[in-house]
Amino acid sequence: MYGGGNTFEAIRTDSLAQEDPEKLAAFEAKIERGEKIEPTDWMPALYRKQLIRMIEQHAHSEIIGALPEGTWITRAPGFKRKLSLMAKVQDEVGHAQLLYSAAETLGKTREQMIDDLLSGKSKYSNIFNYPAFTWADSCFISWLVDAGAIVNQLANAKGSYGPYCRALERICAEESFHLKYGHHCVIFLATGTDKQRQMFQEAINRWWAPMMHFFGPSDKISAHTEILMKWKVKMGTNDDMRNQFLDMYVPKIWELGFTLPDPNLKKNPTTNKWEYTEPDWEEFKRVINGEGPCNKERIEVRRIAEERGRWVREALKAPQAAYVTPLA
Amino acid sequence: MKSLDPRVNRLPTLSREITTKVPLDQLGTYEVFVQAKENKPFQHEGIVHASDIELAFVLAKETFTRRFTCVSIFVTDTRDVYVSALTEGTVNAYDTLPPYTPNANNILENYLIFHLLKRGKQHVLAGKVTASTPQEAMLKGKENLQDGKPVFNVWAIRESAIRHTQPEEMVLWKTLPDKKYRDASDYKAGDKLTRFLAQRKNEIL
Ligand SMILES: [Fe+2]
Ligand SMILES: [Fe+2]
Ligand SMILES: [Fe+2]
Repeated sequence: MYGGGNTFEAIRTDSLAQEDPEKLAAFEAKIERGEKIEPTDWMPALYRKQLIRMIEQHAHSEIIGALPEGTWITRAPGFKRKLSLMAKVQDEVGHAQLLYSAAETLGKTREQMIDDLLSGKSKYSNIFNYPAFTWADSCFISWLVDAGAIVNQLANAKGSYGPYCRALERICAEESFHLKYGHHCVIFLATGTDKQRQMFQEAINRWWAPMMHFFGPSDKISAHTEILMKWKVKMGTNDDMRNQFLDMYVPKIWELGFTLPDPNLKKNPTTNKWEYTEPDWEEFKRVINGEGPCNKERIEVRRIAEERGRWVREALKAPQAAYVTPLA
Repeated sequence: MKSLDPRVNRLPTLSREITTKVPLDQLGTYEVFVQAKENKPFQHEGIVHASDIELAFVLAKETFTRRFTCVSIFVTDTRDVYVSALTEGTVNAYDTLPPYTPNANNILENYLIFHLLKRGKQHVLAGKVTASTPQEAMLKGKENLQDGKPVFNVWAIRESAIRHTQPEEMVLWKTLPDKKYRDASDYKAGDKLTRFLAQRKNEIL
């Protein structure tokens, strides 16, 4: 994963009045032509701020997302599954590395980003505030949460900021392994014993609401982000992304004989869009604001890692090395 | 903490409440270049943070070449990359170099020159020059390494500042056949699925 469900606050565009109108017009024309913006190019302060926020959230989601799946490495059924899951989790942490670097090119240090994660100032994908009870939950994450993330990441890879797009291209290539691995795990459960099928059905029932939340609040109620769409920071509305995901994966879930816990879920043949029970956005807000079942644990695990890794960083500290902003 | 994960339950409790990192314990920044195939040029892929160039090399291998074909990488301290202006449209970055007169008595060294030929893409190795300073290296690149296309950004790196892959390290990228589990192609379940779907169809009929 996990470039999804970014939370955007209402965008205040008043700062744009302070930007040089000529430079702003040239910047927007460049994006309109499909060209990429690079770190040393001129950019409005608002573009920089929103990109940092989005890429940083994405990076945090990768390392926090590694926690619920990482839990299952030692208990994955069989040696081969353990190896696969370990490789996948390693990839996710690697994705965080690539994404932090991309955000750093915009001028925020990695240290500051980690600080903001630990203090709760920065968010990460809401879905990782839920627990993975059984092996089947881990399979749900690998197949479907990653699938949702891929929908977002493929869209974002066509965005306007060069370093983010290049990181996403590498990430998307690795995600193809995650998706195949996840689907493979689910097919094994689906074609297995009644007990195995039941396990996966229960995982679906637990994860469906967070999965619908994953793409962020419905367009009807979400903050206005037109300027971010125009600047190709955000590449589709939340509802568009959700619809794309449903279109690709609901038939695959049904094909395996599982049900989804929403009696209103169906594709409208005239609009070609999916219809569903409106997700509980109050629950979404509560979890984002720290009330989810695992928020405390996730951050606490990061804090302990920070504390326990301190002596290593201290031992490594070499006077000649210096933090500088990455080039591209 | 009460977690579903027994390992989390075994974690020690912190002696103090940590909400911020210890200031400035971040490590240095190193740029990573990857050669994907024998006959392809090295290209810039990103950065790693490390305490020194040796660790940077190890982390670069882990971060950038776990999944992709690779025959060789190198890393260099970001501060050792000399960078031209970034241009666009029809402006050639080489035409924006400030005037510079090299001192004839200086010691010559090898420099690697990287070009950005397409905005939005990676910097690619254009070739090697000998010069006494990075400024001079860029001027030599301007004379000798251009092939008609505009260059939007030029990087010059002193070769002595580079940590190359040593010949005996090339085996790092020889993936063992039993490591196929890291590839999407190792997860074929189509037959299983087809059998299952056919059976289900029968049951429903
Ligand atoms: Fe990922
Ligand atoms: Fe993934
Ligand atoms: Fe993932």
